[in-house]
Amino acid sequence: MLSQTKQELETRAEPEKKKSRESVILLSILFTVSFILGIAYHLFEWKTGSTGPLSLQLASQAVLVVGYTSLYFVLHQIYRTRRSRPAKSLWTILIAGAVLLGVESVASRLGGPSVLPGLEAPYNLVGLDTETGIPFVLASIFKMNVLALSQIAFALILLLKLQDLVLVKRSKISQRNWFAMVGIMAITGLTFFASRPGSSPGEVQIIAMIVAVVFMLVNSFRLSWIVFLPFKEKLATIGLTLLLGVMLLLGVGVLNESAIDRLISPGAASYLEMYSYSIFNFVGLATLFGLLYATTASLSLLFHLPTSGEFTQRAGERATMQSLAHLVGQVFDADKLYATIAAAPVEAGSAHVSWLAVSDFKSGSLTPSLVSSHRIELETVEKLVDSKALFDEVLLSKTHLHLEHAPTDHRVDAKPGDGIGSLLVTPLIARDEVLGALFAAKEVIRGFEGDDIQTIGILSSQAAVAIDNARLFEQQVERERLSRELSIAREVQQKLLPQKIPALEGLSIAASSVSAQEVGGDYYDFVQLDERKLGIIIGDVSGKGTSAAFYMAEMQGVFQSVTRLAPSPCEFLSHANTALAHSLDRNVFISVVYGVLDLEKEEFVVARAGHCPVALVGQARLGEYVRSGGLGLGLDRGSLFRETLEEERISLEPGDVFALYTDGVVESRNESGEEYGYDRLLSTLQKHRYQDAEVIHKSILDDLALFLNHGNYDDDMTLLIIKWHGIELPETTPRVLETEEST
Amino acid sequence: MSNFSVGFRNNGSIQILDLRGELDAHTASELEAAIQKCQAGSSFQIIINGSNLAYISSAGLGVFMAYIEEVRENGGDIKIAALQEKVFNVFDLLGFPLLFDITPSEEEAIAKFEE
Repeated sequence: MLSQTKQELETRAEPEKKKSRESVILLSILFTVSFILGIAYHLFEWKTGSTGPLSLQLASQAVLVVGYTSLYFVLHQIYRTRRSRPAKSLWTILIAGAVLLGVESVASRLGGPSVLPGLEAPYNLVGLDTETGIPFVLASIFKMNVLALSQIAFALILLLKLQDLVLVKRSKISQRNWFAMVGIMAITGLTFFASRPGSSPGEVQIIAMIVAVVFMLVNSFRLSWIVFLPFKEKLATIGLTLLLGVMLLLGVGVLNESAIDRLISPGAASYLEMYSYSIFNFVGLATLFGLLYATTASLSLLFHLPTSGEFTQRAGERATMQSLAHLVGQVFDADKLYATIAAAPVEAGSAHVSWLAVSDFKSGSLTPSLVSSHRIELETVEKLVDSKALFDEVLLSKTHLHLEHAPTDHRVDAKPGDGIGSLLVTPLIARDEVLGALFAAKEVIRGFEGDDIQTIGILSSQAAVAIDNARLFEQQVERERLSRELSIAREVQQKLLPQKIPALEGLSIAASSVSAQEVGGDYYDFVQLDERKLGIIIGDVSGKGTSAAFYMAEMQGVFQSVTRLAPSPCEFLSHANTALAHSLDRNVFISVVYGVLDLEKEEFVVARAGHCPVALVGQARLGEYVRSGGLGLGLDRGSLFRETLEEERISLEPGDVFALYTDGVVESRNESGEEYGYDRLLSTLQKHRYQDAEVIHKSILDDLALFLNHGNYDDDMTLLIIKWHGIELPETTPRVLETEEST
Repeated sequence: MSNFSVGFRNNGSIQILDLRGELDAHTASELEAAIQKCQAGSSFQIIINGSNLAYISSAGLGVFMAYIEEVRENGGDIKIAALQEKVFNVFDLLGFPLLFDITPSEEEAIAKFEE
């Protein structure tokens, strides 16, 4: 996504780049042509010994001005794409200056001396007519062109490189001032267009020069780049600016004809003057500006040296903020996060030692624990400072606590050598909750200034967000892990329930169980005791969720192992009560109905250990609940359970329907708080009693869903329907009659 | 959110807890806390007045089971009084009347303590 945008930008920048490259080529050609035309004119002068008509003279001057203007724009284009650090800009100028010196010193000595001693510049030049500028020898033409080119090029580089510095942190005004200065310098140069080299300036020219100088002064105080430099770089840059100043003063450029200038490159400036008086003046102004700027820059650097530390601290703060901001995303490693936060005040330069205390969010306690420290051992911290007491204070105040004279505070037990003179405790607050506190200490008393406190305050709020995120992330991971585990538990529990319903002739059975949560405490099961005997159990562990699920699993184990040994319901339940008594918590119990269907004897023997009574409807029955006595499993661990447990024997008649269920069915409440209830269950059973178990089961669930009018159950809910259809025997009719008589 | 509350009353040395609302898995801890408070105050004669108890779940019943042994060991008892019919039915189904004194009115429960 990001790289794509970058690519797009690049492709969009492509035509612009191409355009600038084209213009550079065009301008370069223009400059080269102008330069060659200049040489051609000088050759013409040399050949004819005259300057030609005035129009030709002026035209050649115009060509030169246009040519070097082109050169300016070429260099401008080249440098625009390569912006560099301040020191590098200065180095470029210095190197260009050195190259210029080299070229000048060689070129000015070619073909004999260039100047005659004792005469005033530019009238001291040898090899050309100082009145008209007509060269006498070819060497003069060469010297003049090479020296002019190198001097002008240097002046342009000087201006363009200083532009980089002047326009650091540019505003519209500063940019306008700069280009105004360059423009006025150019205009000032052009006022000399028709003047004879060496002639003194007129009034207009002097005014133009004054205006140019004013703008130079304005621009030479644009020194914003200095404040950002670190101490060492400032020192180095002072050296560079001083060197530049000396270089310009001593003759690189065309300011004066000093002794050294004469020594290194005699007559270089005068050649330029002869070459083009307007360009000579422009170059002079550029050199003057260079000198001015070198002076103000070196002075300003000198004055800014003592404040470098402050700026370094600010830079440290910014860097720390940035690393903290990154950390907000790095929430995987709490220890690393804590270490970074603990180190932040020291790294930002706002404290000498620092440490971090966070409250343990897992246990929910507000007691903080020291988790990380920087430049001080945690043990030392524990010995010297009562971090908990200080934490408690900021926990209440929710604002920073500043102990200016820490050793006098009762919560600090530090002596002067211990490094804790003043102490700043800042709470880490995210979403209105105090997650911890950042402790920062300085060796001296009253060590924290307003900006230190502010910085650490900002650090703390950043840190709080990071810790908060880390916690949320951890909780999320934990939640996901739990839900994964629970879904496994659910699968396991589902396997504890019968995978298929036993098929016995004359009997139809339907069963279902849903849990309110992933796992629940409801249980039902079957055991085939022999071919015509089926044990059926339904149970409900008190409470909900995971703990209920564990006891349900235990119940299943007891059921599967004990039923075959204790076939009668009472026996089984008594055994189960004994077996479970040891493992059930005191507040946990299991209500159970266990019944044995004997299809041979056509009877259902059922016992109820505290469970919802079995509902019974039949062809000729009114519908009833079989409510025999009995305590829930685990309620009594002595003999009371056995003594109070009753068995009920029900003779089966074809068409009898038994409903075994958990309280989730009858106690389910609709939106107005009304329970489904025993009566409704019984009447629904009545209504559908002629159907087979499957249909009755579905009808009851449908009726319940209709009653509740919302999809979610707040309790585990199990429903088991057993229907005795009777066995098709030839003597069915008399048997039915017989039973009818008995009822 | 919780629609369950426990009110404390005294009748001589008998501590009466008025339950109001619905006692289920979420609110069971409040009743636990209330009984613990009685124990901490060495009141072991406790009457649970259920006249305003609208609903009780198995987890709620578990609270009584959790503390009855300890209270009785200290010579006291937890008696349950004035339950609404529907709530009594839940106690009754599980056989709680065999384990606890469950009386129709608070006065009868007090009388039982005074026996």
